[in-house]
Amino acid sequence: MSETVVKIENLVKRYKELIALDHFNLEIKEGEVFGLLGPNGSGKTTAINCLLSLLEFDKGNIEIFGEKMTPENYKVKREIGIIMQNVAVFDELTVYENIDYFCGLYISDKETRKKYVDEAIAFAGLESFTKFYPKKLSGGLLRRLNIACGIAHKPKLIILDEPTVAVDPQSRNRILEGIQSLNKNGATIIYTSHYMEEVEQICTRIAIIDKGKNVAIGTKDELKKMIRNTETITIEALRVEESVKKQINSLEHVYETVHSDGKLVIRCSGGKHNLIKILGILSENDTPFGRVYSEQPTLNDVFLEITGKALRDGSDENNKEEN
Amino acid sequence: MFLHNLKYEFLQNIRQKELIGWMMLFPIVLATLFYVAFGNIYEKEKVFSEIDIAVVEVTKDDIFNTVLDELSTGDEPLFNVKYTDRENAEKLLRDGDVLSIIYVDKEMTMSAASKGLAPSIVRSFLEQYTNQKTIITETAKTNPDKLEAVIKSLSNEIDCMNTKQLSNGNMDPYITYFYNLIAMVALFGSTNGVFSATRNQGNLSAIGARKCVSPTHKLKTTIASLLAAAAAQIVCVFISITYIVFILRIDMGDKIAMIYLSGVTGTFAGTSLGFFIGSIGRISESTKYGIAFPVTMISCFLSGLMIADMKSIISQHCPVVNKLNPAALISDLFYCLSIYDDYSRYIGVTATLLIMTVLFTAGGFLLTRRKKYASI
Repeated sequence: MSETVVKIENLVKRYKELIALDHFNLEIKEGEVFGLLGPNGSGKTTAINCLLSLLEFDKGNIEIFGEKMTPENYKVKREIGIIMQNVAVFDELTVYENIDYFCGLYISDKETRKKYVDEAIAFAGLESFTKFYPKKLSGGLLRRLNIACGIAHKPKLIILDEPTVAVDPQSRNRILEGIQSLNKNGATIIYTSHYMEEVEQICTRIAIIDKGKNVAIGTKDELKKMIRNTETITIEALRVEESVKKQINSLEHVYETVHSDGKLVIRCSGGKHNLIKILGILSENDTPFGRVYSEQPTLNDVFLEITGKALRDGSDENNKEEN
Repeated sequence: MFLHNLKYEFLQNIRQKELIGWMMLFPIVLATLFYVAFGNIYEKEKVFSEIDIAVVEVTKDDIFNTVLDELSTGDEPLFNVKYTDRENAEKLLRDGDVLSIIYVDKEMTMSAASKGLAPSIVRSFLEQYTNQKTIITETAKTNPDKLEAVIKSLSNEIDCMNTKQLSNGNMDPYITYFYNLIAMVALFGSTNGVFSATRNQGNLSAIGARKCVSPTHKLKTTIASLLAAAAAQIVCVFISITYIVFILRIDMGDKIAMIYLSGVTGTFAGTSLGFFIGSIGRISESTKYGIAFPVTMISCFLSGLMIADMKSIISQHCPVVNKLNPAALISDLFYCLSIYDDYSRYIGVTATLLIMTVLFTAGGFLLTRRKKYASI
């Protein structure tokens, strides 16, 4: 059985009246790519900062590699790599110097450090940019430099806090592949994001956080099984009679039918051949329709059903800007 | 590992564009402007450095006339003499054409329109002459052939005495602008100090957070950062001093090594001040810069960077400010080196600056150590 790398018990963090973390619990095993999923302000970054002893918390206990985490626990800190949400590199140092500087905070031996720095540069694909200053790098390259600075010392636990914000799709894919390769090489990963597609793509286990609480935890399939929705059918139809909607709604596995903006959205819970039955009702009633989609539930559906709101509430605008 | 930190912290500081602009080029431009602005005044003072005096001969004194002739001729005459009658002499004095009148009688007397260096030189000359006159008279009687040599010797003695009094350090008021300019560059180290403090605090910058989660002790990274900040600023101070002393050839005395050392002392004080400001409270990095810069400029203003007399005005009305104002203390270091032969006052001012440095640094560390990050 794999060892516990991170154990958070009953963590409470208050900012005056606001409770940022409300009896938050988490256990992450060795070799996992663990996703912390939640909207902006849900407590993901606060949880990470408490985990790293950057923030004092009001109550609870944090253990990393079986040891109590404190600001002075340098043995544990030596095994951690951190990639912050904001790029944390020096504008005045070149790509090589930045990686060497941060690696030097962990590795004192010059030769080992040089080897590690070269490997980190190769890992991030920055070989052609070693003498560049960060301001000369594109957003994607800058993010890759940020990651290289965080992983150059070969940590056993890597914490990535929204590492793909403001990154082009090509760099994003490269970063995600890199994270998976770090995991394959033995590192345990904690990955926070509000991009559910990324979390679904790379995480072996996911915790959904809302209002400082861990509202659900499991693999993506386990999470999807927690909710009522198993299939969402969307049919383009300009006009749908109320009687038709009632007929569809009366089907055994349909629990919600909504018609708006020329789209009929039907949510089903279990059952087979739901789509065929619905299309049959539409044909029988001579209701014209266009394209038809059938989708499996997403993490957003999971989040929506568990918390009563969409995962990207309050972050849509950010996402548009960032992308 | 400490040297590794120090190296990169120094590179970060020295490569800041603001540093090159504000800390290196701005003082050079300002020093050049001061030089151009005061250049004419320097020239004038040099040409008219001899003291204009009127001599009223109530009785004739040939020996006095001979001594006076010696002192009012040559390459660097001490006096510019006008022989005239009492009425005209008094008119010249009223009009400011002469600074003193000497009345040659059995007893030498003088009058002056105001107090100051010139009348005191004239007074000391008369005292010297009166004391030595007996020797001259005796020589005239006993060894008339040596009279000329004795008169020459007396003239030299008076000249040397007065020259020494004049040039024992650069006493012109404009030199204080240059002292304060160097003090300003040293105190600009406060921005580097803020830079150091904020880049080591996890709640103020992502870089600070990354440093805080590393296994390197915070004290070690902070000290490396602080030393590097001071070192980068020392480079700037040395450039300013070199430019002022060796390019503009402003006379700051001959204790050059001590002048550079004073620059180092001042820079430590400035950097530690910035470090202290950077460590205060939970305010943003930009606000901290917004505090450090005005503190530096107000300190320099009170020390006389914009108005040369400011320091003496404060000295008259609130002397404690001059004893606590780091810019005033730094400029005082240069003043002490230029004016005084002994180091007692210099050591006192240095000690005050070093105590300030220790207090600011220790205060900064305490504030940083006790920090509870409210939000990141």
